[in-house]
Amino acid sequence: MRPSVRLLNLEVPSIHGARSLYVCSVCRHEARPRPIVARQFLRNASSANSLTEKVRRKIWGTDNPPGLKDPYGGEGVIERKFKNKHAQTVVEEETPEASQALDTAASEDAAPAADDYEPATTWEGLDRVGHLGRWFDIAPAATEVYESFQVKKKITKQGLLSLAAHQTVVELCLMHKLGKPLTSICEVVEHDQSVFKLIWKTKIVPASNGQWTAALEYPDKEAEEALVYIFEQVGGQNVAPEIEEVTQDVDVEDARSDTTDIVDMDGSKQPFFGYQRTRDNGFLSLSLDDPATKFAFLKRFSQLTGHFFPDPAVHSITTVQQVVDYVQNLAKPKPKKLAEYLANNPRYQSMPNVKVFAKRQKRSDRDEELGRKKLIEAELRARGLIE
Amino acid sequence: MTVQGIRTVTSARNGVGAFILQCKRLDFHYCDWAGSSRGMVSFLKHHLPSFAKANPQIEIRVSPRPHKHPVIKGHYVNGREKAICVRNLEPEQIFNKANLLKAASGEKLKRTKKPIASLNESVRGIWDPYHGGFKSV
Repeated sequence: MRPSVRLLNLEVPSIHGARSLYVCSVCRHEARPRPIVARQFLRNASSANSLTEKVRRKIWGTDNPPGLKDPYGGEGVIERKFKNKHAQTVVEEETPEASQALDTAASEDAAPAADDYEPATTWEGLDRVGHLGRWFDIAPAATEVYESFQVKKKITKQGLLSLAAHQTVVELCLMHKLGKPLTSICEVVEHDQSVFKLIWKTKIVPASNGQWTAALEYPDKEAEEALVYIFEQVGGQNVAPEIEEVTQDVDVEDARSDTTDIVDMDGSKQPFFGYQRTRDNGFLSLSLDDPATKFAFLKRFSQLTGHFFPDPAVHSITTVQQVVDYVQNLAKPKPKKLAEYLANNPRYQSMPNVKVFAKRQKRSDRDEELGRKKLIEAELRARGLIE
Repeated sequence: MTVQGIRTVTSARNGVGAFILQCKRLDFHYCDWAGSSRGMVSFLKHHLPSFAKANPQIEIRVSPRPHKHPVIKGHYVNGREKAICVRNLEPEQIFNKANLLKAASGEKLKRTKKPIASLNESVRGIWDPYHGGFKSV
């Protein structure tokens, strides 16, 4: 029986100490050199002082018994190979100064392991990780603040979902047209109100070939120029003030002419500036067959609405309509309780002998129904058992 | 000597003069969440109205019992209760169980050993050592 080479392999670094491979305690125990008596049975017979060799010599009555030196054939092929390899690495390590230079960095880590190293007996003076209480009083650093990619509150209303889908489609059409990376639109978390208005006014007319670039129908030439100008900036440096300047003068007459009943005065706090529905539904029939477009659409849509899309859903989605439907299905109300159903059922209402309870009936409910509850409580109170 | 009537009260022979159903109340318990109540929920939705209409003398109470198996519990005139667990049963099976509870007398189930059961005394009367043959006395 030879010890497993694999375990030998693990044993070596663990014995040599410092930067050892991780070996679990059971394996390490297995691979640990055994006491000599036990080892004699395990090592092969080629070693001269093994027990088998001693027995063999005793049987023949000579120090040089006939036959093969090792009746078991010596070390195995793998073991020999492993031994050679190990010898080579040892030689390489010993030879040049280059290896020393390489090792210096590593040895510096374990530098205190030299002469002046003194193992600590108490925790005093040691470096601490974390806090010893009251850590929650410390204000978070600027880097520790978490900002969500998505909106904080999920959007569930149908009109708002359509608005989000429409906005995403318009943005992606423009990005397609300008030849910019599609997902870079996600850098703009929220548009200025005037920009959003331009987007809202833009219609989507799906082309027969399913091209996204030709699908936009702008309200007028100025709006087109403004939108193209704004979206050219997306993905580059922050140009928010410029955007505002451009869009404001485009939008002056629109703001007056457009009906304001849809937009609330404090629309900035509401999603989509208080807009409730889209102007047209042409965007719903746009195809999402192109994987890049689909990915960009879902990314932007989930950023605007706060809904995640699991892989199976992403795989099955082929049009914008399906995306909107999927999110609407998610937001479906919970199934009604049976008690509500029965209570609203006219067949039950007309029956004098059927009584439907919405809550679990306990013994105390029965007591109350029979008029015993007051008596019981009065008696308990008299005995000082309840307040 | 005048003839006197026997002073006695008529004993109730349920079903001879009038029949009073022994089951006075049936409680239907279900769980909104658990799968074992699926049949019960369906029964309550679709079959219970006709059952209640056919048995106007039984009070029917429907109440949830969350995270428990569905149960029908019968309350009887004699003060006893009988409960049947109807977990994972189909609505038709639950209907049968409800009928079983409705028709039950409320008494404990007894094993009938004799072919005839009667409340009447035996015509032979009680054994008496001073009557009949005096051979062994």
